[in-house]
Amino acid sequence: MMHSDIKSRPAYQALEPDLAGSRHLLVIEGEALPPGRLAALSNTFAPVADSLHTWLTGAPAAEGIAGKLWQLGGVEDVLDTLACATRGYGMGDRLYVLGTEPFLWSVATAAALIGFGPGQLQLEHAGSLRRRVWCTHCHGLTENVTTGIVACGGCGRHLLVRDHFSRRLGAFMGVMVDAEAPGEIPAIEEVFA
Amino acid sequence: MIGQTLRLKVAAVSDIAPGLRHLRLVAADGGKLPPAAAGAHIQLVLAGPGRSFRNAYSLVSRPGARDAWDIIVRRVPASRGGSAYIHEQLQAGDTLEAGWPGNLFAPVRTARRHLMIAGGIGITPFLSYLADFAMSGGEHALHVCCREAEKDVFAPWLAGRSGVAFHWDADGHRLDIPALLAAQPAGTHLYVCGPAAMNDEVIAAAAAAGWPARHVHCEHFGAAPAGGAAFRAFLARSGVEVQVGEDESLLDAIERAGVAAPCLCRGGACGVCVAPLLEGEAEHRDHFLSPAERDAGRLIMPCVSRAKGGRLVLDL
Repeated sequence: MMHSDIKSRPAYQALEPDLAGSRHLLVIEGEALPPGRLAALSNTFAPVADSLHTWLTGAPAAEGIAGKLWQLGGVEDVLDTLACATRGYGMGDRLYVLGTEPFLWSVATAAALIGFGPGQLQLEHAGSLRRRVWCTHCHGLTENVTTGIVACGGCGRHLLVRDHFSRRLGAFMGVMVDAEAPGEIPAIEEVFA
Repeated sequence: MIGQTLRLKVAAVSDIAPGLRHLRLVAADGGKLPPAAAGAHIQLVLAGPGRSFRNAYSLVSRPGARDAWDIIVRRVPASRGGSAYIHEQLQAGDTLEAGWPGNLFAPVRTARRHLMIAGGIGITPFLSYLADFAMSGGEHALHVCCREAEKDVFAPWLAGRSGVAFHWDADGHRLDIPALLAAQPAGTHLYVCGPAAMNDEVIAAAAAAGWPARHVHCEHFGAAPAGGAAFRAFLARSGVEVQVGEDESLLDAIERAGVAAPCLCRGGACGVCVAPLLEGEAEHRDHFLSPAERDAGRLIMPCVSRAKGGRLVLDL
């Protein structure tokens, strides 16, 4: 499910510190961390530890992590903290995000609003494949979708979840599955566990 | 539209400073000119001793203007002929051949803030940027480094413009480039246009301050040094051998031989004139080819690059 013929479907890579940057912010969705990944990240980011802040949500044990550690409640907390940073962000800042796709893109879209460009941002997927789905009919967003067909949280239509992805919305496209034959809804299966 | 030409008439000529001449150009047939956006340039075909030159000049008129185009031409001391012709011979009422406007230096529309650094006459593309930002409201700052005596020369184009600062070589007036770059907020795009040494310094300072390369934009002006030792070039497809003189470019010589060679900037920046190199070693002077492409030795930019040996063979 991480690969698709649809080109808009994002691909992710393992985070690596960009040594050209002058300040580094690593944002981690603690709930999505595979065992051992945090320790490995600490090693990877050791070269920039002096200019690194790490924001970790969900409060797993985080001993020995590189840089200055801040433990945050969840994605809303991350977005508030990102938007409220009083020091502001400059062109030497680098942002690295690790987590599920809804988490990655919540942070990425908030960072884009602040002014972070693609050259300042790295995303690494971890944890569940659950998706945020945008309804082409009512434009509502449905969160935490793990099934290939989902009832839209906005208008109730049954949506086929496509791989077609919007970076602006940070969401996958959902289109009405029974538009041609009303009421004929295929079996709903969990495909984005 | 590369290849199409326009006939322009000189509507007005004025010297705005020693060595700086302003030209106002209109369509020779009295019609409308093609529109051009901020950062655009035109190529003018200029008569010189024994042959003609094609020089590119930034448009300083309001973006989108169709009644007239304005350019400012600095007289180059070792002029190949183009700027000397404009300064010594061109008069109001004369007509010129010109290419359609091209734009290799447009402002980035998604930028949160535009930071411009100009060296001397490198201010010209930014005069149209300022007009654009005055209309669009784009957040911006322009830092101009020039001789103190020249800081008021561009005043007619800066009336009512905000965010412009001048710097010159005196205590308290120099531009601290590293400090300026370090202080910019996320979302800024940097544009630099000036002499090669200044461009290089600004680009290096941006890299040192952690700027991603895609936020740094540069326009090289004036001619990358076009001259050098004379050499011969054989154009294999046309079956023509041309002699490239010391003071002309390979592209000039190709055009003189009547071989079609599309081009746009004539300054080694745009890549339109890139030609396959079949034999010989090139002395690369462009800003377009990657280091890997230079090492491979299969391509050359004839507008600025020359031969290291005495002869090149091109697939033209």
